[in-house]
Amino acid sequence: MPSKRSTISAKLSDKQPATAAPRTDQAIITTRSLCRYYGDDEHNKVKAVDNISIEIRPAEFTAIVGPSGSGKTTLLHLLGGLDDVTSGSVELAGTNIADMSGAQLADFRRDHIGFIFQAYNLIPVLSAAENIEYIMLLQGINNNTRKQRVEQMLAQVGLQGHGNRRPNKLSGGQQQRVAIARAMASKPDIILADEPTANLDSKTGIALLDLMKTLNETNNITFVFSTHDEKIMNRASRLIHIEDGQVIKDENR
Amino acid sequence: MLLIALAWRNIFRQKRRSLLTALSMAGGYLVSAFAISLSEGSYNGAINFFTEDHSGHIQIHQANYLKRPKIHKTINNPQTISTQLKQNTNIRSHTLRVFAPVLAYSETKNSHAQLVGIDLALEQQTSRLAEKIIAGQFINNQQNTAGYYAVMISSNLARVLNISLGDELILISQGADGSVANDLYIVGGIINNKNARTVYLPLNAAQLFLSLPNKVHQIAILLNHSGEAIEQAQHIQQLLSAESLLGDSFPGESVTVSSLIPKLTQAEKSLRQNLTNLTVSPWQEVEATFYQSMQADKRGMNITLGIILFIVFIGVLNTVLMSVMERTREFGVLKAIGSRPLQITTLITLETTMLASMSIVTGFALSIPLILWFKNTGLKLSQPVDIGGVVLDRMTGDMNLYVFLAPAIAMLTFSILVSIPPAFRAASISPTKALGSH
Repeated sequence: MPSKRSTISAKLSDKQPATAAPRTDQAIITTRSLCRYYGDDEHNKVKAVDNISIEIRPAEFTAIVGPSGSGKTTLLHLLGGLDDVTSGSVELAGTNIADMSGAQLADFRRDHIGFIFQAYNLIPVLSAAENIEYIMLLQGINNNTRKQRVEQMLAQVGLQGHGNRRPNKLSGGQQQRVAIARAMASKPDIILADEPTANLDSKTGIALLDLMKTLNETNNITFVFSTHDEKIMNRASRLIHIEDGQVIKDENR
Repeated sequence: MLLIALAWRNIFRQKRRSLLTALSMAGGYLVSAFAISLSEGSYNGAINFFTEDHSGHIQIHQANYLKRPKIHKTINNPQTISTQLKQNTNIRSHTLRVFAPVLAYSETKNSHAQLVGIDLALEQQTSRLAEKIIAGQFINNQQNTAGYYAVMISSNLARVLNISLGDELILISQGADGSVANDLYIVGGIINNKNARTVYLPLNAAQLFLSLPNKVHQIAILLNHSGEAIEQAQHIQQLLSAESLLGDSFPGESVTVSSLIPKLTQAEKSLRQNLTNLTVSPWQEVEATFYQSMQADKRGMNITLGIILFIVFIGVLNTVLMSVMERTREFGVLKAIGSRPLQITTLITLETTMLASMSIVTGFALSIPLILWFKNTGLKLSQPVDIGGVVLDRMTGDMNLYVFLAPAIAMLTFSILVSIPPAFRAASISPTKALGSH
């Protein structure tokens, strides 16, 4: 059932395209008729994201769920400004990122968005601490502050004493914790996680999601993550179901 | 620091590949530095040889004398200019000379020859003529008891005329005033020169012989630093302006000559006219054939070095490109977390610059003993080489800042240039594509 907070106005159950969402000032993420198509002609066109309008409020812990190929990753990439929209808009904290230049988008991502990837994607030649520190270096934060915050982040993800290890000396779960710490280090408004537990065993995956949930609650950071794992999606406070690039269900839990 | 650490560690991701690339660059540096050293050494040796042997670094003549020497194309006030030159601290020494073609007669033979009138004191400071005496001594300015001047002749002319020390030599030529110049001289010294047929006379004797009182054809100048020939020639050319010389004739006066002396004498006008017609030529113009040969040879060497560097940098380009392609996903991540395209470009350029710097340091260390040996010892050539008329019998190197700096700058510049296309490629990667999302 659609939640009361949901602003998706389309009739979700019959997979009709959502219409433009009414603007809510509190929303930190707003998409309006968002589309991302691949392929040039009508016959080959793949509608990875098809007319999605959603609003996500600050500090929500939202899961985008759906089967493989449903458009979860593409939607996350569009929300993070990693991919170009075909039509529609993505507003993050009231700013339409579709209008930004490459450099502006880079700065926006650096300051407002944290990313967690399925394959961890840590820089292999940097230690865990340096991976976390790198984004703060991009932000121009001074050395002392960086070092302090790295220690804080490592402590928050339970990796004290592991800062000097390179990613290849860490387990998958530990690497993903470093990735979470990296995403948190820049003090972003939003963290987008693309199937963050997919490469982990279920126990580690659940523990990792619990950590994300804790960080969400203690730091009031908006988390949006994708998953198709039932156990994982149960931890989310809001589930947005998508299929064939369209939202079919949006529920608060 | 973190960016530098990241670049440094990225170099060592593929140790073997980086090592091979660095070695090829170090080899390229070594070859380039060595080739430049040999070139500089050979040419500097040749330049020093002829400039200090006879030509000097700079020569002053009447205009167009170098192209079409004529007896009447003279410098009419050599002592005034000589006084100016003595005050110039950039000038080591200078000398005055007159030239004329002559017919030389011994008792039994005759030959054409080149007469060179030399200032005996200045010539010994400016050329190596005195060092080349193989018989007799450096002549003096005194006539013997019979009233004849002593002359020095080249060993070749002595052979052709079959004369030796103490023999009489008759010279016949045309004086500047149109008269037939002829006189008898005594051979007082023989100069080692197996090619030229030259007779050296004291300057005043030559001026008297050729009816050129107080006139010379050439002032040859040796500088303290041979590399300043062109700029010093320009400087001297300015100093030789009539205003400058005449102005200095009245030290302390701020007014011009024309206002100081309302009625310029005809002599002053003549002097002014003469001075403005003087040409100051660096050795590059005086020894134009040699200089052009040298420049052509250097261009050839630069092309060869360019080809070597090109081959080296094809390897570097390959390394950088492979490195970028292998790390496509990583660049996608760096962009996703907020790295600007310029920061990605900087990272890759920094990596290449570091690799090039290491290679240069290695190449520099390897080149020092080699270049030092060639500078101090050199390689004796089995067959002497003639470069623009200067014969070199030993291959020697030079060791100066240019030898090491030129290839270093070339290597660094090419490294940066070569890294730019792959760097832009990495910087323009779409994060979505790089992350392999679809």
